[in-house]
Amino acid sequence: MTRNVLGIALAMGLIAVSGCNQNDQSATAAKGAAAVKEAGDKTIAASLDQKGRFFTLAKAAGLDATLAGPGPYTVFVADDAAFDKLPAGTLDNWMKPEARPELTRTLSYQMLPGTVLAEDIGKAIDNGNGKAELVTMGGQTLTATREGDKIVLTDGSGGKATIAKADETLANGVVHRVDAVLVPGKTT
Amino acid sequence: MMKWMLAAGAAALAMSAPSAAERGGGKGQKGQSDQAQKSDRGGGGQKSHAQRSGGDQGRQMRSVQDDNRGGGRGGDKVRMSNRDNNRGSDRVRLENRQGDNHQGNQGRGHNAQIVRVDRDGDVIRGHGEGKFARIEGDRIFRVRDVDRRGVVRFRDVDRDDLFVRQLGYGVGGCPPGLAKKAVACMPPGQAAKLVGQPLIAATRLGALDSLPLSMRSLFYDNDDYYYRWGGGYMYRVDRNDGLISSMLPLFGAALLGQPLQPQYLNSYYRPSYFNAFYPNSPYDCYRYGYGYVYETDCMTGMVEDVIPTYDNGYGIGQLMPSSYGYYNVPFAYRSYFNDDDDYYYRYAPGSIYRVDRDTSLVSAVVALLTNGLSVGQPLPIGYSAYNVPLAYRSTYYDTPDAWYRYDNGYIYAVDPDTRMVRSVEYVIV
Repeated sequence: MTRNVLGIALAMGLIAVSGCNQNDQSATAAKGAAAVKEAGDKTIAASLDQKGRFFTLAKAAGLDATLAGPGPYTVFVADDAAFDKLPAGTLDNWMKPEARPELTRTLSYQMLPGTVLAEDIGKAIDNGNGKAELVTMGGQTLTATREGDKIVLTDGSGGKATIAKADETLANGVVHRVDAVLVPGKTT
Repeated sequence: MMKWMLAAGAAALAMSAPSAAERGGGKGQKGQSDQAQKSDRGGGGQKSHAQRSGGDQGRQMRSVQDDNRGGGRGGDKVRMSNRDNNRGSDRVRLENRQGDNHQGNQGRGHNAQIVRVDRDGDVIRGHGEGKFARIEGDRIFRVRDVDRRGVVRFRDVDRDDLFVRQLGYGVGGCPPGLAKKAVACMPPGQAAKLVGQPLIAATRLGALDSLPLSMRSLFYDNDDYYYRWGGGYMYRVDRNDGLISSMLPLFGAALLGQPLQPQYLNSYYRPSYFNAFYPNSPYDCYRYGYGYVYETDCMTGMVEDVIPTYDNGYGIGQLMPSSYGYYNVPFAYRSYFNDDDDYYYRYAPGSIYRVDRDTSLVSAVVALLTNGLSVGQPLPIGYSAYNVPLAYRSTYYDTPDAWYRYDNGYIYAVDPDTRMVRSVEYVIV
């Protein structure tokens, strides 16, 4: 009897302890579950403006299927205005077959492996003494920092993009809207 | 050690011969009949692809069993076509004088063996050291061997000018012998000279055709430009002046069996995954250049295979090399991408491609992949942010004892103190 009571007490204690440890994480888990529910079946590809510049370029590079695939990916989607800020002729050039390498490098530079929410980037910045390196699908990295309450991404060319609207969770990843196109550094 | 074994395995996978072609990712035991059908269908292997989509050519190749003799006729025709092609080319004329070209051989009666394959199945053979086949028109191929059933296997074609003759849609822009190894047949330096020239300049090197339907949504003719393809390249032609304004290599840059030219390589850049995927061995040396990995014979320096990489523009609209004739999609993605009657899926560094069975052209990039994490290695720079997919966050969340990171379909556990990747915790399949 005494042994049974002791066992129950120990078990309850363990549960209590583990509960304490998980207080923080359970919130994350609950948020994750809610996000999954919210994401539904809609993919990243479906969430993008089908006539917008980003998706048009993605189609040109054959990445529309990727964005509609299993993923998951984190995609920094620049709005059309951001694309318009690129040097004159850049977009037209990217649509040319011979510019495919540059286009694919640029688009894969806007994508990260896995689902990285803004909160996750924020934590990585805090843990990394003010900055976090984020590996992209193209292999190069972005540098994330905080500016006020915003997260700013610095690309390989020194350009900066601010996350304007974060955490658009979808079935195959998450989309963060940014105000500039991230440009990878030169590789050759 | 394990890393090397894995790397060697990956490289071996990437290099395997197309003979292993089969429909991958199926639901298991569709069985051998399926595979048998596949060898007829094309299965992704260029060899069989050439037979299938090459249509007439495949039948011609098999028709060799009805052979007749008569090398003289074949020789004449070869000589004639060669003269047309080599007009004004000192270099090729020199090769001819050296007897390196079949023209020289036959013209001087050096017992060259000619295999002539006509549409009606007639085959005319001569005798000699070299064996060349001439198939309908100007297509001239070096014969690798003829098996007992009379099936001709073609090897590389004579010299580079001839490589690209009369090559059109159906065999990926290359003669069957090359298509089996699958690279474009024109070196990039030579090809680039065509920009700014009239389209007829490209036509001299290889028959051009309208784009296949699957490509027209991407490269559609408009009032300003129209597109043609052949010889391993697609040409965009300006309607105003009729000049080639740009060209897209459908795949490949080097010539198999040719020395690797220094200009194909860029010395100062290599993708980070290069060494892991392509470790050198005493026999195979790998070099990287402008989006392509060249497998060369260490002793001779001759190119043995050319492998594309995604990050330099390889992708949609380009030819999947036949060395990817087997189903090699990473396990974590196999439940998503199964080969079917219309498409097959292949992994190459950087991505998983969907390939049209009829054309062997990449029709979509269905997944991008990173260089990958590996157990026992330090967590690479760039993985500091938690990135586990939402559906798995309730199970795999960072604690003081373990971090979790997602990569290429796997969730890895990482030691927060040492930042070493500790184990694979979950495979998302």
